[in-house]
Amino acid sequence: MTVLQMSEEAATARSRTGVWRKVVRRPATAVALAVLVVLVLLAILGPVVFTAPDLIDVPARYAPASWAHPLGTDELGRDLLSRIAAGGRVSLLIGVASTALAMIIGTVWGAVAAARGGWLDEVLMRIGDAFMAIPMILFALIFVAAFGGDTFTLALVIGLLMAPLTARIARAVVLGETSGEYVRGLRAVGASETRILFREILPNTAPALMAQASLNMATALMVEASLSFLGLGVQPPTASWGTLLQQGYTKLFESISYPLVPALVVVIAIAAFNTVGNGLQRILIGDDRD
Amino acid sequence: MIAYIARRLGLSILMIALVSVLVFVVLRLLPGDPTITRVGAAQAIDAKTLAAMRHSLGLDDPILVQYGRWIAGLFHGDLGQSYFSEYPVGELIGQRIGATVLLAVAGLVLGVLLTVPLAVLPAISRRKIWGRLVGGYSTVGMAAPPFVFGIILIAVFSVGLGWTPTGGYQSLWSDPGASLRLLALPAVTLAITLSAPLVHYLRVSMREVESAAYVRTATGKGLGRPGVVGGHVLPNALLPTLTAFGVMIGSVLGGVVVVEYVFRWPGLGSLIVDAVLQRDYAVLQSAVLLVAAAFVLANLLIDILAGLLDPRLRVGGARTRARGTTAAALATGGAR
Repeated sequence: MTVLQMSEEAATARSRTGVWRKVVRRPATAVALAVLVVLVLLAILGPVVFTAPDLIDVPARYAPASWAHPLGTDELGRDLLSRIAAGGRVSLLIGVASTALAMIIGTVWGAVAAARGGWLDEVLMRIGDAFMAIPMILFALIFVAAFGGDTFTLALVIGLLMAPLTARIARAVVLGETSGEYVRGLRAVGASETRILFREILPNTAPALMAQASLNMATALMVEASLSFLGLGVQPPTASWGTLLQQGYTKLFESISYPLVPALVVVIAIAAFNTVGNGLQRILIGDDRD
Repeated sequence: MIAYIARRLGLSILMIALVSVLVFVVLRLLPGDPTITRVGAAQAIDAKTLAAMRHSLGLDDPILVQYGRWIAGLFHGDLGQSYFSEYPVGELIGQRIGATVLLAVAGLVLGVLLTVPLAVLPAISRRKIWGRLVGGYSTVGMAAPPFVFGIILIAVFSVGLGWTPTGGYQSLWSDPGASLRLLALPAVTLAITLSAPLVHYLRVSMREVESAAYVRTATGKGLGRPGVVGGHVLPNALLPTLTAFGVMIGSVLGGVVVVEYVFRWPGLGSLIVDAVLQRDYAVLQSAVLLVAAAFVLANLLIDILAGLLDPRLRVGGARTRARGTTAAALATGGAR
């Protein structure tokens, strides 16, 4: 049994470095990854490096791009680049937290459905379908109106709403793994079903779930931006990419670059997460084209 | 085929029933008392008045009784009355639904009209630039929240060129010209959000079809690129995209809410947002159920259509495969 386990772990480790190498070789995916690294660094270091995001300088309002303000300023003369960075902290934090939540709930939900099968599988998946029949933004709207739009609630709500889709993906991936040779081998040597599922199958589904996590990040950013844009998400003066967009939208007539800058950042971030997720999916199904 | 339709129909009804339970339970679990919002929290009200009000609205009945009353009312065409304005819910929804249907249908039709040429052009043309451009279009379109295009369109066509008003609504019957001018920007916004992912899926499935033997045969017998693509690749690639389209309808319905807000379009979306802010469960539960039912029924129609086009789908097992495509479509498209 030990021998069997060893070889299985070795095989998994090998295939994971393989995935990494293939990611870097795909130009679009590699560029998207680099963009994400830059955005995360900006969010972490930005508020430290640039002028304070809440520093008001009214005479300098709607300033065009300059060395002092690389992306210009907003209606109170606050530096837009540093507000984008500070907003990135909030938006990306919501994204990471909700994605982590969705991955945990969704993986357990889908894995249990796949492993147990039968009526439990049917019931779990039908509940997920019912959730998904209601447009996510509508659902989020209801929750956020009731519980408020602070960072924690938003992450919780978005995470819960992304769980059913994650469960569906996890179920499909786990079902695919269960038919693997090594699962039959483990059963033959008498490993328990729980052990097989959590120690052997789930680690092997990691790359596929990583792809879904990346797509979930994109979804979370999209929902946060939409809710904050409707005025129901993160509340000003706290900057998030969504609130910046909303404030910029109301000042469309004063400064065209004000709404455009956060819009571009949101689009770039979501596109990058989508590209990484799709890239990973393509690699997993053995399609080497970009 | 009859059995297939019956099964899909049964599943759809089950789904709508599940959604109604889900919506109802979620709304009742939420904190916040609709009667307080209605009276205004600032005023001091004695508990007796509140209790009387809760009683008259039926909010003090057991939750199962409330659910039963709602469902029984649905079958009689009586959706109850708004907790906030006391208007019949059916009337409130009736006033708004026309605007939303107009916008959603225009967005769907325009979206489909955009999708096919955008997917076909790079397949026919030998120049790589088309593929890059269309690829860029779908990447950006899938990444941008729907309101972003709304803002850009307003900035260009309303603020910049002054061709269209920045927002508003006119009934199509009273003044078709003005109505269409107001419809143009929100419909295009929705069409872009719909077509960007659709173009992506159509191109992916066209690429899969390209490697089929019959495509090589068609090329081999001397058929030109337009003939091969139009006669063989596209028809075979449309079916998987159809399922993806069904899922995208959900994001269009969700997108409608936000797009209506951007263009001050007085449809169901704004009714729902107002109801959320006023905790008007009576309006909210029926409006949300209506949106979800529209989504489920649209997918039922699409499933039936797919079954008509591809007999293999009528056999139970094949449905799992179709659902796989659906899941993949949701992964990137279900965000709105």
